Amino acid sequence: MSQFTQQVILGLLLGGIYVAVALGFSLVWGILNIVNLAHGALVIVGSYITWDLFTRWHIDPFLSLPIDALVLFVIGYALQRGVINRVIRAPLLFTFLLTFGINLIIVSLLLLIFTPDFRSVTPSYSGNGLHLGSVTIPYIRFGGLVVAFLLAGAMWTILNRTRIGAAILAVGADRDAAQLVGIDLRHMYALTFGIGAAFAGVAGGIISTFQSITPTAGDPYTLQAFAVVILGGLGRVSATVLGGLTFGLIEILGQSGPGPGYANAIAFVVLVIVLVVRPRGLLGRLA
Amino acid sequence: MRREKLGILLALTAVVVTACGGASGGGTPTTGAAIVFGAAVSLTGAQSKEGGLTKQGYDLWLDWINQRGGIVVNGVKHPVQIKYEDDQSTPNLSATLVQKLITDEKAQFILGPYGSAATATDAIVAEKNGVPMVEANGAAQSIFSKGYKFTFGVLSPANKYLTGVLDMAATLSPKPTTIAMLTANDNFSVEVAKAVEDYAPTKGFQVIFTKQYPAAAPEVSGLISQAARLNPDIVMNSGHLAESIAINKGAKQLGLNAKIFAYSVGPSTPDFIKALGPDANYVFDGSQWTPQVKYKPSFYLSVSEYVKAYKTKYSTTDDPDYHVAESTAACLAFQKAIENAGSLDATKVRDALAGLDVMTFFGQIKFDSRGINTFKPMVVEQIQNGTHYTVFPADVANGKPQYPTPPWSSR
Amino acid sequence: MIAREERVPRSLRRFALPIGIALLAFVILVPLTSTDAAQQAGLPLLADKLWFRIATTVAMFVVMASAWNIIGGLTGYASFGNVAFFGIGAYTVGVLVSSRGWPFPLALIVAPVTATVFALIVGIPLLRLRGHYFAVATLGIGVAVGEVVNNLAPLGASTGLFLPIVRSDLLFFYLMLGAAALAVCSTWLILRTRFGYGLLAIRENEEAAKIIGVNTNLYKVAAFCIAAALTGLAGGIFAQWNSFINQENVFAISDNVQMILMAVVGGAGTVLGPVAGAISLELIIQTLAGGGSKAVYSQIGLGVLLAVCVIFIPRGVIDFFGGQSRLSLRYLRQTLRETSA
Repeated sequence: MSQFTQQVILGLLLGGIYVAVALGFSLVWGILNIVNLAHGALVIVGSYITWDLFTRWHIDPFLSLPIDALVLFVIGYALQRGVINRVIRAPLLFTFLLTFGINLIIVSLLLLIFTPDFRSVTPSYSGNGLHLGSVTIPYIRFGGLVVAFLLAGAMWTILNRTRIGAAILAVGADRDAAQLVGIDLRHMYALTFGIGAAFAGVAGGIISTFQSITPTAGDPYTLQAFAVVILGGLGRVSATVLGGLTFGLIEILGQSGPGPGYANAIAFVVLVIVLVVRPRGLLGRLA
Repeated sequence: MRREKLGILLALTAVVVTACGGASGGGTPTTGAAIVFGAAVSLTGAQSKEGGLTKQGYDLWLDWINQRGGIVVNGVKHPVQIKYEDDQSTPNLSATLVQKLITDEKAQFILGPYGSAATATDAIVAEKNGVPMVEANGAAQSIFSKGYKFTFGVLSPANKYLTGVLDMAATLSPKPTTIAMLTANDNFSVEVAKAVEDYAPTKGFQVIFTKQYPAAAPEVSGLISQAARLNPDIVMNSGHLAESIAINKGAKQLGLNAKIFAYSVGPSTPDFIKALGPDANYVFDGSQWTPQVKYKPSFYLSVSEYVKAYKTKYSTTDDPDYHVAESTAACLAFQKAIENAGSLDATKVRDALAGLDVMTFFGQIKFDSRGINTFKPMVVEQIQNGTHYTVFPADVANGKPQYPTPPWSSR
Repeated sequence: MIAREERVPRSLRRFALPIGIALLAFVILVPLTSTDAAQQAGLPLLADKLWFRIATTVAMFVVMASAWNIIGGLTGYASFGNVAFFGIGAYTVGVLVSSRGWPFPLALIVAPVTATVFALIVGIPLLRLRGHYFAVATLGIGVAVGEVVNNLAPLGASTGLFLPIVRSDLLFFYLMLGAAALAVCSTWLILRTRFGYGLLAIRENEEAAKIIGVNTNLYKVAAFCIAAALTGLAGGIFAQWNSFINQENVFAISDNVQMILMAVVGGAGTVLGPVAGAISLELIIQTLAGGGSKAVYSQIGLGVLLAVCVIFIPRGVIDFFGGQSRLSLRYLRQTLRETSA
């Protein structure tokens, strides 16, 4: 039984990472209707910033998270304002292609700047864990989960308790109406994408603490963010949290099955089944 | 300003000296047309790290051979060129690029790419074109059981990667008995693991846990926690660098204490020690080559000269890892075969490769009937206090295995 | 979709048609110069092995992009799982030829059949989903099938399957070219039938289509199956041509992205758009792929090119060169105005 408990805990901890990764992706998709294929690359930019600060000035990875957020916000704002805004009203596939191109550029630039070497952030406490009987909770991953919940809370607060959030939601609900009441659309688009990128950066900072970083390490995270958002449902912070935790659980519990090689297959088959049974995701709005 | 002038002066002197040197050696070989080698390696994409190491290995030999004026064929020195194409870590693209190298770039010989899938694809193109290919980075044996006549591999096949660790473990006391085996589900890694599972019982070991995980998805904490409950004496991973780092981190976090941690690929690279710091200590790996081996080469550089040449060329303090060395060895096999054949004819060089038997800094290069080098042993190395030591077999070792690995809590 | 209907302006018809026919004749005849008879007759060799490799690859992507266009461009269902059909076709031929010892032509006939059956099974539930949801569900199928294949011992698991080498560049080129012609003709035919109008109606407004009497479910599944059959055929040819298949090279999600890129850059929803996209993009990729140590810059170049294409010529290459205000600054400004914030 404790074996099972351990697996569930690990699944939830992994799910926390997915929540952190998917929050920004979900915001950008829900409000701007952009499936951002460069999301994983932005995550890894955050990882590299944390790595750089850690190796250069020994800044604790968790302390560098606000810096990740700030830098990524600026990058995201500029990207949307300067480039993606130009095709924001084109059909879905075009923004999709554009972000594919942006992903290629970011990954190549990372390769140029940081070389393909495997980078890793290893603070002194990285290997330690809390032992509760026969169950172990690694500190780093627990920290990641806490940050993920803080991020989810921050996202919820921004969207539901601030003027900016109200404006963002208004843009998501009806662009033309939002413009009529005097909201500067270009600015709001850029702001939304910037916030999404900032959350991606923080997720990247967490990821750097338990996984080795290479320029292409972000690609799987785009796919996972995609899956998490669909699983939970678009348009709600709580849905993303549920989707992320579920996806993490499926992946880890899949590993204890007969063929862990099937873990990815199982995760995606569950995803497809959820979609067919509940096309709007587990908690998605039915509108 | 003055320094610059001095530099130019020095360069000029050097040119004059070499020119004189070349002239004074009259009567020796005249210079022939350049020999063109082609290589499609991954310089971008997921395998750009390993692709880069492969290219380093090829370039090291290229500098050396051209300093000597080239490969000697029937008394004529032919300088060497290597044309590179980037396959972006995509096997399908690799096939087109090899064809491009052969057709457009007029490559007479092909040096292999990185990875077993790309190697299989390229081997078929080489075979269709009748162009010899020597590969150094695809250890999966499946490629060599298809009767292809033009592909040779200088490295020991996948099934030898971790069996050396078992041989070593059998000599230790108290003798470890149980093994937990984690395997990435790619071609190469599965072959490595299969060999361990077959070989372990013959040496008195028992494989008590064996599971595969999806390659390139370094999320293995679930598997590690399962393995930890069984308290295995030996934890083995057959995968790649990213996974070996993840497994080592996970083992510490989840309290998986084994007497031996041994990983197929990863610990031999400097990145492994940089990423893990002191936690990298005690880890064993099966290696194609280490900078400490004691082979007596019949040509090219000695092991220590090779290490020095590497550090100079790439301005680094890191030792070359085995990916670099095996890539250089592929070039050496070609060089010797071309010299032996006394010809640049593809079929003659192929035949010379098939009959090759030569000792290099990398070890013996000799191909069995399938075209793979089963004659070179693998070595076992261990990271001790942040440094690599070769610990097995004893005749090439420069250190003793530190055993057993202390539990994480008392490190 | 912006590229709404097939528009072949007069100017295009006047010049491009003869040029197109000439090019097609060139592509069909050039390979013949490589035959022994032609070489003995002293004809210049116009198609070497590299020409064949690239031309066959281009034709393969023409099939994939055109097939994707039928479900993605005409019907408006952006499938991210078409690569699964390619892989299933490839593995059908792979298993039948390498394990069962079937002759290749016979196995090749089965490839589109298995792909179609699979499309039928997954299509019926999945095609009820719309937009992003359909996209992600098909992506899930693509990933899952690849992973399962990678774990199944009878399919060679992670080792993959090796097929006997067939040394005929001509054979595979003409096979792939035939498949490409089949794909293009199918699209052309579909657009001239009730079926085609039904698909376009579904793309524009599925509810309305239903009201005017289109059996939307049947039409969508049929379009999905046709796309699957064509893609599976290409996969089957690829398996024997490449002689080695594994999860990595026939279930690559990047190939799926590539076929969408080609269809969209060329002009989704048109007959020749995917062809133009596949040819231009694949040739660009092949050209940029070289470059040795400068490789990373060519990747950046490709990214910039994509961005520029999407921003400035969102209707696709076909429209850009064939449209009325082609190559003018006004065209660029107009498209920008239509799509930007």
